[in-house]
Amino acid sequence: MMSSTPTTTGKVRVAIAVATGSALLLSGCSVANTGSANGNAADTVRIVLPIEPTTLEPCDSTLSSTGVVVRSNITEPLIERNPTTGALEPLLATEWEATSDTEWTFTLREGVTFQDGTPFNADAAAFAIDRAVNSSLGCDVEGQMFGDPDLTLEVIDDTTLKVTTEMPDPVLPLRLSFVEIGAPTDADARVREPIGTGPYAIDEWEAGIKLTLAVNENYWGEAPAYKAAEYQWRSEGTVRAAMVTQGEADLALSLSAEDGAGDLGLNYPNNETVALRFSGDIAPLNDIRVRRAINFAIDKTGITDSLYTGASVPADQLVPPGVVGYNPDLKPWEFDLAAAQALVAEAKADGVPVDEKITIVARADQFPKIAQMTEVLQEQLGQAGLNIEVKIAETSVGLQYQVRPFVLNEGAIAMIVQHGNQAGDASFSTESYMTSDAQMSMFGTAEFDSLLAEASALVGDERQEAFANALAYEREEVVQFAYIARMTGVIAKSATVDFEPNSLSGDELRLAEITPAS
Amino acid sequence: MLTFLRRRIVSSALPLLVVVIGVFALARLTGNPTSLYLPLNATAEMRQNFTDKYGFDDPILVQMANYFGGVLRLDFGESLRTGEPAAAMALRAFPATLQLAGTTMLLAVLLAVIVGSWAALKPNGIADRISSFVSMAAASVPDFWLAIMGIWVFAITLGWVPTSGVGGATSWILPIATLLLRPFGVLVQIVRGAMVSSLSEPYIKLARSKGATEFRVVTRHALRNAAAPALTVAGDLTVGLVNGAVVVESIFGWPGIGKLMIDSILQRDFAVLQAAVLLTAISIFILNILIDLGYAGLDARVRPSGKPKKSPRSAVVAGGPTERNVNVQTTP
Repeated sequence: MMSSTPTTTGKVRVAIAVATGSALLLSGCSVANTGSANGNAADTVRIVLPIEPTTLEPCDSTLSSTGVVVRSNITEPLIERNPTTGALEPLLATEWEATSDTEWTFTLREGVTFQDGTPFNADAAAFAIDRAVNSSLGCDVEGQMFGDPDLTLEVIDDTTLKVTTEMPDPVLPLRLSFVEIGAPTDADARVREPIGTGPYAIDEWEAGIKLTLAVNENYWGEAPAYKAAEYQWRSEGTVRAAMVTQGEADLALSLSAEDGAGDLGLNYPNNETVALRFSGDIAPLNDIRVRRAINFAIDKTGITDSLYTGASVPADQLVPPGVVGYNPDLKPWEFDLAAAQALVAEAKADGVPVDEKITIVARADQFPKIAQMTEVLQEQLGQAGLNIEVKIAETSVGLQYQVRPFVLNEGAIAMIVQHGNQAGDASFSTESYMTSDAQMSMFGTAEFDSLLAEASALVGDERQEAFANALAYEREEVVQFAYIARMTGVIAKSATVDFEPNSLSGDELRLAEITPAS
Repeated sequence: MLTFLRRRIVSSALPLLVVVIGVFALARLTGNPTSLYLPLNATAEMRQNFTDKYGFDDPILVQMANYFGGVLRLDFGESLRTGEPAAAMALRAFPATLQLAGTTMLLAVLLAVIVGSWAALKPNGIADRISSFVSMAAASVPDFWLAIMGIWVFAITLGWVPTSGVGGATSWILPIATLLLRPFGVLVQIVRGAMVSSLSEPYIKLARSKGATEFRVVTRHALRNAAAPALTVAGDLTVGLVNGAVVVESIFGWPGIGKLMIDSILQRDFAVLQAAVLLTAISIFILNILIDLGYAGLDARVRPSGKPKKSPRSAVVAGGPTERNVNVQTTP
């Protein structure tokens, strides 16, 4: 019988194994590449977001994930839109006037510096606007707010900037309210951590963990209540809500009613409108009776009550209340299944191929319960006599149906879209979704295009009336959409802070508006 | 030893290359990601500029040649989302996953050895029943549900641990507990089965007849022979954890490579995806070598030599413990 005694080698192996295991266990006290544990200082407001910003580049702050951190916190625009009244208010610019159809002159605020001490002046403003709108960076704000036309910028003196447009643009100040002014930097490359004039500066960004802002001691305006802000991110809504209920965070964004925030959840109008957008040049959707029938067939109140427990309401048009051009006289299409069926039958009798498939396309997880809404719509439109199929696609595939060039070889498409007009003017909705050549418009009419073009050139009450009439015309004579719901957002707010969410809060969370609970 | 390592490196290079090429090609089959990175109403000019900048319109072979040309210069490209070097993002995220997976597996192995040995000593006893139940639960309970339930019970209802995040030692408890169930459930059955086999061997009877305590019989005689198959399975499970911790990382906000990969897939961030896959593949290759070395440490019969032969683990795993185990018994 062979045998062996415990050897020194064996003891060494055991020792190595124990040491390795212990090191691994002990290393559990901190995760690799992370800094300090979660702060809980009373002067720090803690916010949990659904996703980590990919960048804090100011010219991309029209992206919600970036803007919610950057806008009016780290950087500021020349002009700021009041989300409640819609009025444009001075910020880095104190005055502005249209000196001609295509020329605006801005008077800039004196005594402002960037967080690195660089003075803010007309040169800095011109640089930031030129970089955001005219450069080859492809900034998100350029695509969202300005499109192809460039701006000409002329520095008159340190506090006077002249901006000239290629075409008359009565809403240029509104567009510029989306251009965040960062300190002069590389014009050919994006900056991940900008320097601005805002009440907070970036303190530390632990990628994947958290982002901390510290108060700007040299801020030109009123000092905010909190000395610091800490952002974390959790993709799961229930976890975000739980962080607030358990005191691990003060605010949690982008929740739904089912995420468990309970009494700490606040509903607020987020300016998002959900609608079905028609491919109005493909049968059977190329017949206006079929499009009207779809509007009659959708029980909008049933959808908002059952899926959103009444927090959302039926929609009557694409733009929400408070936006220039909103038509207060328009009401949601009535739910009338008999009328829907009659219209479908009438179209069929005239040879319209109503049996041709219509595909409802939805982007997965675009908003809460979109899948359930899609199923309800399929059922309701089927009852009207239409042949409905459903396609729920992930974002990158869904965008192929939403944005030009469209997917065109799959028959008629009715796409669920969610449009938010945070800009405050109907032109931003019509230029995106309603004109014949808009990036997200599948069809239009020359008459409607003409009405929209005329409205876009007007100002004041005339502009309001012209857009309102144009939207009424769309509703009756074009029927590009079936409007479904005016959505609300949900924020969880702990009892330790005071904050009133508004229509901008999902895209621009102003830290200066958050104060300790009184 | 060096010969063994050299052979393994050479034999692993081809699969590594296949994985990288496969991920490269499959990712690009999903189409041009331009729409994901530009505003919805970006102009045609903006879209074309973006496409030209990143070469998305180039033939796939040209794109692949450019990519591998960069790899040879240790340039793995930059993230479409953040603009950071893709390799830096992957290297930053990977250690967190490695920590989580490594700690989970260490605990899983320790617990599986204890409970599995106990179950083998007393078949149909309480430990045996626990191990059977856990194994069934591990096979049926999805990670997502387990994680959410854990948060609800232990963080919200009882307030014992934080809901999520990476601050402090207590933040490890729920993520590890969530990930632990499946590997523990598998390993405890492996250990139990191997221990039952070992404990039925004649040398165990001999050891007992010589007066060895039950503890010594289990730890110094039976366990050593039962460890080898458990080690093999533990290695495979660790690989699975490295790849599959994405749900736990997403829910608990763990800054690991699993979440980085899934985000890169959804956002068509090709460079980051490729860097993450490459890093994971290399780590799995290294892990397999370590497992082979560990296995050789346990069983002298399979220590690597210069002669070409099958992977040491596969020969013994296929055959299971044999009468040759008499060669490794120790005196009581």
